[in-house]
Parts: sequence; C-alpha cells; structure tokens
Amino acid sequence: MGLSKVRDNIPYYSDDLSTPAEGDLRTYEVFVQTERGKPHTYCGSVDAADDEMALMFAREHFGRDQECVQVWVAPRDAVIRTDYDKDLVFRLTDQSYRFAKGYNVGMKWREFREQRDYDEYKKEDLREHF
Amino acid sequence: MTDLADAHKKPLVQLLFSIADDKLVLGHRNADWTGLGPILEEDIAFSALAQDDIAHAGAIYGLIADITGGDADHLAYGRTANTYRCCDLVELNDEFDWAVAVVRQFFCDHFEHLRLRRLSRSNWTKLRQLASRMLAEENLAIGHADQWIVRLAKSTSEARGRIQHAVTKLAPLTPSLFEPTEGMADLEAAGVYPPLEAPMFDAWESMIANVIDETGLRAEFRAPAKDYVGGRHGKHSADFAAMLSEMTEVYREEPAAQW
Repeated sequence: MGLSKVRDNIPYYSDDLSTPAEGDLRTYEVFVQTERGKPHTYCGSVDAADDEMALMFAREHFGRDQECVQVWVAPRDAVIRTDYDKDLVFRLTDQSYRFAKGYNVGMKWREFREQRDYDEYKKEDLREHF
Repeated sequence: MTDLADAHKKPLVQLLFSIADDKLVLGHRNADWTGLGPILEEDIAFSALAQDDIAHAGAIYGLIADITGGDADHLAYGRTANTYRCCDLVELNDEFDWAVAVVRQFFCDHFEHLRLRRLSRSNWTKLRQLASRMLAEENLAIGHADQWIVRLAKSTSEARGRIQHAVTKLAPLTPSLFEPTEGMADLEAAGVYPPLEAPMFDAWESMIANVIDETGLRAEFRAPAKDYVGGRHGKHSADFAAMLSEMTEVYREEPAAQW
C-alpha cells in the first residue's frame, strides 16, 4: 500500500514470527507511512539493542529508499497474536453470507451510469433547442 | 547577502575544502565497513550514513565549483595530496576496529555539527541554505554515534574496555579538527562564517562531555596549539597518501569519463 516495489516485498514467515534475535538483541517490527494520513504499512523487522537503536536502524533501513514521513517500531513480543494451530480465527461452519463479496452491483452501476448519461444528454439537448 | 565579496572567495574556498574533504575522507573510510558491520542492521545504517557524508561532500564541492569554476568530480578526486584540507582524525585508518570507527565518528560528527551550525547563520544566502539542510541530516548522524558510544560503554566489560581504549587513542588527534584554515579570521569578522557564543573547542568539548559523562568513560582533551600546522594547510598524516591513492584510483583511470 503505497510502498515502493522493493519494500512491497515483505518477508514471508513460514512460522509464527519465530526468528530468534542474536545475543542480547531484541526483534522489532517496522511500519512506515509514506504520506501523512495514509495507513502505516508493515515492512519487516530489525534486531536492535534497545528502542532507540531499533528506531535508528528502521529509519536507515526502511526509511531512505522511498519517500516517507514516519516510521514506527514495536517490539515483536509486544504483538499479541493468535496461535496458528490452537486458535480458531475463521469460522468452520458455513457463514459465506458474511463475506464482503457476492453483491452483484455491476448491473445496477451500469444502469445508473446509463441513466446519468442520458439525463445529461437530455439536458444539453433541451438547452440547444430552446 | 546574495553575492559573495571577491575578497572572501579565497578564504571561503579553503574553509569549504576543509569541510568537503573531511566528509569525503570520512565517508570513504566508513564505506570500507560495508559488508563488515557488527550486525546486519548496523552495516546498513553505517553505510547509509557514509553516503550522507559523501553526499554532503558532493554538495560542497558543487558550491566550490560555483565560486571558482571547475567540476565537482575533479575537485573531489583530481587534486594533489597537499591541496586537500582534511585533518588527521578523519584520515586515521581504523584497521577495522569497530570501537575506533565509532569514536572517530563521534568526535567528528559533533565537530561537524558546530561547523554547520555556524554556516547555517552565514550572511551568504546560498551557503546558509545549504548548511541548514545539511545540519538537519548531521543531527541524525550524531544520534547514531552517541547511541553507540553509550551502548558499548554500558555493555560488557570487553565492550567498555574497547571503547575506552579507542577514546584514549583518538583523543590526542582531536586538536587537528580545530586548526583554522587560511584567512578564517576574515570570514568570521565578515559574518560569512560567524563565530559561536563560545570558542569552537569549548563548545565541542561540552557536547562530547554531555555524552561521555553519562557513561563514566575517561577522556581528556587538549585545546589545539596556536602554532599547529597540519591537514588544514596540506600537511597530512602518514595514512593519507595510501588512502588518497586508493580513493582516486577509478577516477584517475579516465578523468574525462561521464558518470
């Protein structure tokens, strides 16, 4: 979302954010915002000794190869998350009626646009003749 | 002031060379760390900050070229060793000792901040505008250097020992930063390079102390001797010739090449 192609290529986690940081470093998740008012987008992680250093690393690593206005970092272990195996996120029973799709509005839109164009045409036609 | 008085051109070029050469040489030294930084994140950050230094140098060479004519690439890479105005501290070969690289950066960035702060109050508009932009970026570099000093000093006894060793080793080189370039007094009097409220050395030492005192590291600095003649007058350290030869190797292959 608004990230450069390079930054769009966010890491793929085969496991649940489990990459361990080395030594006494902590892992921080990084989010950047490309314009004020736009959402912050997750773009990867850095390992750092403390909050301040994490922010510095994130700024140098993710904040320089594209225009951006703000960087967020958050300790990975501060992200409270569901467990792939234990926690149910999506329902098992058929609740497809809840999907935000399947509303056939294409036809209605077409009709609306045609009507609007026709009204415009009629208005101009009337103006030309009277 | 839109136009620079002719009388100030020569001394200002000397001053600008001292800043651009410091930044180019330091940026080159730091860029040697690309691929060798202590952790991946720092490798990237340190390399990115080295590029800032080189970008700043490029902007200042461009300004010199506006004053004297000529071309920024030639000013950076096509001069003889004794026309460079960088100081002993930036020339120092860190021999890939991370503590030395960090301390060198720490001492130099604070000095650079003061120099840019003065230029950002210059009465020559063009210089003032360029310096103000660079000052904002220089403050990021300071934040980086300060963090590493504090972090290492408060870390394991090995880390603390190494950073203390580097501080002790590099402190005697710091007077080389303060050697005035030729005609600097005229620039100060004319408001092209306005003085700070305090002498440069005092201002720098107090900035350094603000960080060092927090860590309990020991450091002693001497004010520069009045009769010191060094890099700002073209008299360079033993490390410089080899570095310059390596740094200009590609340029010398084909000086007329378009990049």
